[in-house]
Amino acid sequence: MIYFDAGATTLEKPLAVSRAAGQAVRTMASPGRGGYPATRRAEETAFACRSEAAELFGCASPEQVVFTSNATHGLNIAIHSLIKPGCRVVLSGYEHNAVTRPLHAIKNVELTVIDTTLFQPRQAVEEFARALEGRVDAVVCTHVSNVFGYVLPIEEIAQLCRDKNVPLIVDASQSAGVLPVRLDRLGAEFIAMPGHKGLYGPQGTGLLLCGKEHPEPFIYGGTGSVSRQQTMPEDLPDRLEAGTHNMPGIAGLLEGLRFVRRTGTDRIARHERAIIAAAARGLRQMPQVHLYQDPTMEHQAGVLSFTVDGWDCEEIGSRLAAAGIAVRAGLHCAPLAHKTAGTLESGTVRISVSAFNTLQQAEEFVRVLRRVIRENARF
Amino acid sequence: MEYYLLIARSITYAQRMQRALRQAGIPSGILRAPAQVNPKGCSHAVRIGPEDLTRAQNVLSAAKLQPNHIYAKTQQGYEEVAP
Repeated sequence: MIYFDAGATTLEKPLAVSRAAGQAVRTMASPGRGGYPATRRAEETAFACRSEAAELFGCASPEQVVFTSNATHGLNIAIHSLIKPGCRVVLSGYEHNAVTRPLHAIKNVELTVIDTTLFQPRQAVEEFARALEGRVDAVVCTHVSNVFGYVLPIEEIAQLCRDKNVPLIVDASQSAGVLPVRLDRLGAEFIAMPGHKGLYGPQGTGLLLCGKEHPEPFIYGGTGSVSRQQTMPEDLPDRLEAGTHNMPGIAGLLEGLRFVRRTGTDRIARHERAIIAAAARGLRQMPQVHLYQDPTMEHQAGVLSFTVDGWDCEEIGSRLAAAGIAVRAGLHCAPLAHKTAGTLESGTVRISVSAFNTLQQAEEFVRVLRRVIRENARF
Repeated sequence: MEYYLLIARSITYAQRMQRALRQAGIPSGILRAPAQVNPKGCSHAVRIGPEDLTRAQNVLSAAKLQPNHIYAKTQQGYEEVAP
């Protein structure tokens, strides 16, 4: 199988990830809950994971790294902590439902969507600047569109937010482990990311980087600390980590983070872009294929969307799956992004790659797609 | 005097303190804080030897780490030596 759905979850991981997760199942109990070796092992692993993430993502302290179950969980914490009924929120036109649904669930939130053209970061900066001229209570922005791989100008947007003293929430679901994501440089209030995509951890893991010292808790419960008190602890990470930790996930995530740091995000990004560029070159030879691509790849990460004239994108996805190629088709849980790009009615077929994909796989994918389209044309 | 307990606000904070002490060559261990020194219920402490308190305080201060409380463990029990 050729797995081109890394934007959903990276399926191929470093071997150490599953090994560490399996070992954690057998040997680790709950961190912070006891004084015996199984809790000590869990505590050391959790701390090592926070420390590794803090180094990679520019957090001054490992306490700013909060474990979540995925990016959606982190985004819900961030959004509900910052945004209250009546708030005015600015968001990019490329947000995932993990952002738009939590916002929709808060009553009377006034949303301003920055509706700009794909791969035009300058335009995005100008529109964000314009939107921030009025009263804004928060900005939520994805770093990379999960549908199109469009790299939004997050550093410039963060600068605008800092200039206006507006808190920023960044969705780093597609960029963490691939592009520079630095809490210290962005000065964001929160950066949410999954552990199971570009960080190569197991599913059920995520990280929320907290720039704010005492965010409002989202889930309440036991933390193994200040137990007589009926309010959540004041300090991070306990304040946002009620309940038992996912130690197999965290142990696996630690190995994923080590892999990313060892390999280097620059190298991973170059590799992914090369594969996407190769696939795009092949697809461009097919007149029926409509590509959503930045030809320079400067503003695009390892994600590529396309449509095929006369084909339902789900049909393409199914045919490719039958031929052993895993892609994602449809709206990718991001109807807003499709609306912004003008693909809401059709959806797209998306390929998304990881450090474990190869250029040969891109070439094979193109060959198979060409065959699928040609065979259909016979009937 | 047997040892000192540096009370931390969380297990993660205790681990940060221990890491700073380790880097300075000061031996330490993390333990669940005894109930007597733990009025809010459940916390963690870093234990250090009686000869290391001053140096440990300097190391932690340089690392911008501040224990919630410091207790001395004697044969009579725990005695707070610093808030």
